[in-house]
Amino acid sequence: MQSVVRTEQLTKDFLTGFWKPRPGRVLDAVSFDVPRGEVFGLLGPNGAGKTTTIKLLMDLLRPTQGRAEIFGRPVSDADVRQRVGFVPEQPYYYDHLSAEELVQYFAGLSGLSRVDAVARTAAVLTRTGVRDEDRRRPLRQFSKGMLQRVGLAQALVHDPELVVLDEPMSGLDPIGRRDVRQIIMQLRDEGRTVLFSSHILADAELLCSHVAILARGQVVALGKLTDLTAPAMHGSEVVVSNVNAEAAARIGAHAARVTEIADGRYCFELAPGERPEPVIAILAAAGATLVSVSPVRASLEDIFLEAIQ
Amino acid sequence: MSATRVQLVAWHVFKEGARDRVLFTMVGFAVLLFGASLLLGQLTAGQDLKIIKDLGLAVIEVSGVLMSVLIGVGLVAREIDKRSIYGLLARPLRRWEFILGKYVGLLMTLAANVAVMTVALYAVLAWMQWTATPAVRASWEAPALDPAMLVAVVLLMGELAVLTAVALFFSTFSSSALWSTLFSLGVFVAGQFSGQLRELATAVGSRAAGAVGTALGLILPAFGAFDVKSQVVHGLAIPLEFVGMTMAYAALYAAAVLTATIAVFNRRDFQ
Amino acid sequence: MTPGLRNLAATAGVVSLMIGSSSVLRARDVRVPLTQSADRGLYIRSGTVAKTLSMSLRTIAADMYWLRTIQHFGGDRLSHRRDRPFELLQPLLDLTTTLDPNFNAAYRFGAMFLSEPAPGGPGRADQAIALLEKGLRAQPARWQYAQDIGFVHLWNRGDAKEAALWFHRAAEMPGAPNWLNAVAATTMAGADRQVAGAWLEDMVAHAPEGWLRAIAQRRLAQLTAMNAIEQLEALVAPFQKKMQRNPTGWDDFMAVGLIAGVPIDPAGAPYVYFPASGLVRLHPQSPLSPLPVLPERPR
Repeated sequence: MQSVVRTEQLTKDFLTGFWKPRPGRVLDAVSFDVPRGEVFGLLGPNGAGKTTTIKLLMDLLRPTQGRAEIFGRPVSDADVRQRVGFVPEQPYYYDHLSAEELVQYFAGLSGLSRVDAVARTAAVLTRTGVRDEDRRRPLRQFSKGMLQRVGLAQALVHDPELVVLDEPMSGLDPIGRRDVRQIIMQLRDEGRTVLFSSHILADAELLCSHVAILARGQVVALGKLTDLTAPAMHGSEVVVSNVNAEAAARIGAHAARVTEIADGRYCFELAPGERPEPVIAILAAAGATLVSVSPVRASLEDIFLEAIQ
Repeated sequence: MSATRVQLVAWHVFKEGARDRVLFTMVGFAVLLFGASLLLGQLTAGQDLKIIKDLGLAVIEVSGVLMSVLIGVGLVAREIDKRSIYGLLARPLRRWEFILGKYVGLLMTLAANVAVMTVALYAVLAWMQWTATPAVRASWEAPALDPAMLVAVVLLMGELAVLTAVALFFSTFSSSALWSTLFSLGVFVAGQFSGQLRELATAVGSRAAGAVGTALGLILPAFGAFDVKSQVVHGLAIPLEFVGMTMAYAALYAAAVLTATIAVFNRRDFQ
Repeated sequence: MTPGLRNLAATAGVVSLMIGSSSVLRARDVRVPLTQSADRGLYIRSGTVAKTLSMSLRTIAADMYWLRTIQHFGGDRLSHRRDRPFELLQPLLDLTTTLDPNFNAAYRFGAMFLSEPAPGGPGRADQAIALLEKGLRAQPARWQYAQDIGFVHLWNRGDAKEAALWFHRAAEMPGAPNWLNAVAATTMAGADRQVAGAWLEDMVAHAPEGWLRAIAQRRLAQLTAMNAIEQLEALVAPFQKKMQRNPTGWDDFMAVGLIAGVPIDPAGAPYVYFPASGLVRLHPQSPLSPLPVLPERPR
């Protein structure tokens, strides 16, 4: 398995304080590998060092110690970025440009000829869902979600092998999140490698094969997602309505806790290890209605805390 | 290195300038002022042509200087501040290419604006030429449409080339546009006196003050060295060699400042 | 390249480019020095136009013109300019005082500049008097202006009568010191050097700047020289009485013990004795030359 991104003992100190600046460690000996063709999630709560790691990879920051490589070349080699697409967190682009002009500009910087830039720009804007009538409007009129789409378009215009996205879902509405997820899945299906950061575990569960979890600047967990989250399963919650007392008692035998919400509506909390399927079978027989089944898991923060301890 | 990337960055600076309403207003105001100078000319008999030339060249210089500083200080600082620089530097764009592109782009913008103002000034002078009686024309020290005025404009561009480099320098390491503007304008004003500063050593008794003056005179850009307005207006000759050497000075000094700018910018972290 | 090496290379590059650029500029100024324009422009000569243009910044504009006045006067004095020296002095002072009619220093010292005889000034007593009269129109209560007009009449025109008249007018003005009447009286009596001395002492005491004080002090020195010349000329008669002949030079005076050495004026230049006429004059190279035209003292 070949690594597309590799960091070794990556460390970054920022000077803080105005009069007597003292180094504060933001990233502490972070090492991970992103395998080719996978979707890799860089997870962690806010302030864990995700953005710092990504900026180090894009050569926007210079490491205090350690090294970072992309495609086996040091990140300080600007030519490496020919093969990388990047969407920064809360992307801001120039107010005076239109979506089309911006993407064409960036295509040109990645070495595309004028003709190619125009053709590719039209293609990626279609792909990321920027409508035709919006393409010539100045970006200052764009909403946050629209800007995120333009950001994705500029990152894809030069057909990169690696796409790096910093918090791609933040600030998006549910439809926007779904669209971004779909694009990431497509990118993986096209054989590209995707590295993205998020502070929401659900995003990772839907997309990633591999994750690194950062907390306080350190990698606290690293590996396949399934390995990391399986032990974190904390049972499930089943909500039903139209249940008579007899059926409720039968289901209650499976549950760790039963709460009556309102006339005939109950919430059953199943213990870890208890499957919800037998409960659902009882419901069907008793003529009750299933409202929802949701797995109960520890929050990402719980996993971080667990990992730190 | 890629000339294409530098050109692209430069072109976008130019494009932004072309869409900037402030610039339009400034150039429009300058052109209006030339028109108004025709009125002022009526008040001061005999000297009208000279006054219009003086005023015209001064207005071109002042607006060029203001544009250079006001745009120059924001050119890099604003990209950092608004984080639009992330998208740019995530391309195979080298940091020095970015700086050079910004610099060339602003110079292009300034050249275009200065050209527009120069054409407007010549238009006003053509009107003077057309309306003047032969007797009035005979009293002029230099012809109304004197091509020597272009020499003053060329040297002004040399001056702006240096000033733009200075503004860009402050733009790379200060995030406060206000301070950068004040510093750049301060350097511009102090640079007007750099010739006198160099001679301070002979003028003042104090050795320390003289040494400080000499050092400042050497470090500060010699903006006073570009000023030939008085010679041009009075029809005095300006040798080609003078223009050549002055522009060589501008090129070398601007190169020095740009080198320093790139060195600073190369080390910068974008937090 | 390591970061340290890169910094070193950048520093070396910047330094050599800076040195290169300043040597080009130096070479330019040696090889192709530009001719400076001889014309000295004053765009706006009308005080009304200047007033309109400077809007609410009138007093600052007046300050700027006053600074230009001082530079113009001082510059032409120092450079011993031959071509139309002090040509802008009067228009500059007029602008300054129109922009700020209460500019006290501009009237009083401006009049002093204008009345200064050539080559140290334009020698325009008439313009000096006109400026002070303009000041009196703006501030009729300023007895100092009237006193100054009297002084110009006395010092630069040798007109004791007119001077006394002005001193008298000054004395009549409210707030004027009572000694001014005495001054008027002594001027009429011809004891004008004392008057001039007192006036100059006052100027020295109130000069806002060192070089203005220097001008007043120079005039005081001239006064001293005039007194000395008179005393030296008075030595001719005792010599004739003693030796029964005219003295031929300072040596003769020294030989009979009338003076101890060659007399020198307050600026350090020797006085010149003209044996044919028996007169003593300043050395032509003396910084005090030429002396003002005070009226002859009654002998």
